[in-house]
Amino acid sequence: MAAFGATVIRAGRRFLSSLPALFGVLVFTFLLMRVLPGDPAVFFASGPNAGKEEIEVIRKQMGLNKPVPEQLMLYLYDVGSGNLGRSMMTGQLVTKDLRERLPASLELTLTALLIALVTAVPLGVLAALRPGSIIDHGVRFFCALGVCVPTFVSGLLLIYVFYYLLGLAPDPTGRVDIFASLPPRRTGFLLIDFLLAGDFDGWWAAFRQLILPALSMALFVVAPLARITRASMLVSLGSDFVRTAHSVGLPWWRVVVTYALRNAILPVITIAGIVFSTMLGANVLVEKVFSWPGVASYALDALLSSDYAPVQGFVLLMATVFVIVNLLVDILYGIADPRVTIG
Amino acid sequence: MSVTGSRRLLSLVASIVFSLAAGSVQAQTRAETLRYVTGASVNTLDPNIPGSTREAFAVSLSTYDRLVSFGRKQLNGKWVFDLSKITGELAESYEVSPDGLKMTFRLRKDAKFQDGTPVTAEDVKWSLDRVVTAPVLGKAQLLTGSMTSADQFKVIDPLTVEVTLPKPDKLALPNLATVYPIIINSKVAKEHATADDPWAMAWLKEHTAGSGAYKIETFKPGEQVIMSRNAAWNRGTADKSAFFKRVIVQSVPEPATRANLVERGDADLVIDLQASDVQSLEAKSKLKVISTPQYNAVTFVSMNNQIPPFDNVNVRRAIAFALPYDDMFKAALFGRGSPLFGATWADGKPSSGAYPIAQPVKLDLEKAKEYLKAAGLPDGFSTTFSFNVGQASTAEPMAALVKESLAKIGIKVDIQKLPDAQMSTQINEKKLPFFTEGIVAWLPSTDYFYRNFYTGNQRWNYSSINNPELVEIAQKARFEPDAATYEEDGIKLNAIHFSEIPQIPLWQPSQDAVMAPSVEGYTYQFHRQVDYRDLNRK
Repeated sequence: MAAFGATVIRAGRRFLSSLPALFGVLVFTFLLMRVLPGDPAVFFASGPNAGKEEIEVIRKQMGLNKPVPEQLMLYLYDVGSGNLGRSMMTGQLVTKDLRERLPASLELTLTALLIALVTAVPLGVLAALRPGSIIDHGVRFFCALGVCVPTFVSGLLLIYVFYYLLGLAPDPTGRVDIFASLPPRRTGFLLIDFLLAGDFDGWWAAFRQLILPALSMALFVVAPLARITRASMLVSLGSDFVRTAHSVGLPWWRVVVTYALRNAILPVITIAGIVFSTMLGANVLVEKVFSWPGVASYALDALLSSDYAPVQGFVLLMATVFVIVNLLVDILYGIADPRVTIG
Repeated sequence: MSVTGSRRLLSLVASIVFSLAAGSVQAQTRAETLRYVTGASVNTLDPNIPGSTREAFAVSLSTYDRLVSFGRKQLNGKWVFDLSKITGELAESYEVSPDGLKMTFRLRKDAKFQDGTPVTAEDVKWSLDRVVTAPVLGKAQLLTGSMTSADQFKVIDPLTVEVTLPKPDKLALPNLATVYPIIINSKVAKEHATADDPWAMAWLKEHTAGSGAYKIETFKPGEQVIMSRNAAWNRGTADKSAFFKRVIVQSVPEPATRANLVERGDADLVIDLQASDVQSLEAKSKLKVISTPQYNAVTFVSMNNQIPPFDNVNVRRAIAFALPYDDMFKAALFGRGSPLFGATWADGKPSSGAYPIAQPVKLDLEKAKEYLKAAGLPDGFSTTFSFNVGQASTAEPMAALVKESLAKIGIKVDIQKLPDAQMSTQINEKKLPFFTEGIVAWLPSTDYFYRNFYTGNQRWNYSSINNPELVEIAQKARFEPDAATYEEDGIKLNAIHFSEIPQIPLWQPSQDAVMAPSVEGYTYQFHRQVDYRDLNRK
């Protein structure tokens, strides 16, 4: 229990020490957006007949008529009071948009990561147990295929086969069937909300919507995870303690799972953490192809139209997620290998 | 068979029967639902809010009524809007005084807002005042119809409104049928107005208070809007409510997915597919495809007439004869549209006073080289050709062909693909020498095009042309009552356009509406979106 308390205190300290970095990200993004050569006011005043006057109105509305240092101070003050500004694109508060869209992205990314881990770790272990065999080559081939097919291609292919040709999958537009009713919002994660509402048909419908995008994302990240698992399994299988375990006559599965895999899992956790954070921000293409109302496609649209507030809000959110994921990875380290402490 | 076995069988049969029954109920409501998918999204419920998208315009057409609306006519067997036929929407009848300075509107006695209260002249006045007073998009629009001040709108009695004009303006009445002058329930709106926001802009952005054919059920900006029918609405063409009980407007960003959805019958209507998808869907002939050339829109290759070397008219002419029009038309649009090149003008005079008309230009490299020589640039020059990311699917192949063809006369072109906001900023600052863009006019008339797109140092004057003669004729034509003189003015303007060649009209792209075979009544509208009220199902 004491050890647990110490971990929490250390994690808290780690979090505090990352606050300056978050602040830096905030200021940097703010300045970067102002340096970009697109003027959002001109873009959004693009209805027929929109002239100088309309551009000025929008500029005022977005606070762009003030000098940049003043804008920055106002923005920092707003962020400090929990207001990330208003998106011109959706007309909503950025915090509201992100709160609605983040669970969609998280649900998709977590499912994809789970699918990837469940596939990649056994594949990596199998490949490491028989290096150079058919299995090993098969895994390598599968991984190469996954990496070299971009996610939007695999996404479109999956849609073509499972929706268009076979008609097995529901239409790839968002998180639930457009005609279905949504469960009362509790967590924002539809799979959980449907369960809490006791609506199993709804749960199944949401699951069916989720499976194709999750698969196409998972395909892309299976490769790094499987390769890392294989490499570190090879190292630990060749180590002295595994030889000893074999020689004292422990059953093989115990040697592989308890001794080799547990020691080999550290790098896999690291990579999984990185993969997760990257996927969350970089799954734009999957979100676009499946009309998934997530944060990444939201940020891309905002960036194309130079809509400052959502882009800044998104980068801040991603930075925070990165910090939290890294923290989690560190804590998991401690569980996987008690010799590691975070500090 | 054991008892449990037969019971299990019974429950299985029951569940199958039940699910079949449920299926047929669902199918019935599905037939009364219109599912429209689009790559864009709705961002506000009030079309007047600066930054409103075109999809937001379309939704507002269904949620709000205007005083009047455009009729429709058949053009080459397709329904399109008709500017010359203006019918009452909230107005039962209207009257324009003989001197053209007064328009009187009599409201329908039975017209009610969606909350059940009657539509009064007070509401109309408040709504029109809002459009010309508040910082909204409609202000600039109504300006083109000589409506600029709240004093011009007068309540005569609870069902009569009078609009006075400083000059007889042909565009005054049509302006009231455009997207912006919506009639709002002023009592409701005033309740939500604040001292900072006297016109309730913040509230109306996310709520509606209108009398339109549809009520908003759910509004998720950027994702979907679901509307249900207002059964009391009777302003449609046949004096009855709209056909579909429910309309779903859903954003599906990926064009291939939209094509799949409509082909599988899960979506009923889509108007923004890629030209290649439309072509293959048309070839399969499972769906109904209605292609209407957007006769109020034009795509250009523009040159900034103030930046050298494009300030030299001979350089502009050289470019006009060096573009591979036919190849561009095929590569960019798969030939889906109406071309504005390759015409022959008898005696070199414009064939009509309409705008736009097909220009007597075609690919002729020898002629282009001569013009370059006349411009004193026999060896050519280097320049950039820009287009925005949003138009990449058509502009990218086009830009490659422009580059290839101009290289043959010594002009070296660097292709610039700019994010949309960056492109509009640079156009506004007049920094791009050579680029492609499109224009659209809600109320297309020759003088309107020339006044807005060829006049003044403003954003929509893409070519930055500054020709006093053109400006003078266009301003005069605006208030020209005589049709024959107006046509003459139009011919003069078109002649100046061709001799100066400030920018090169390419084509009018088609609006390809792809729909389920059962959907009927689709009409090409001035706002280039779907008016859901037009549609029904066989």
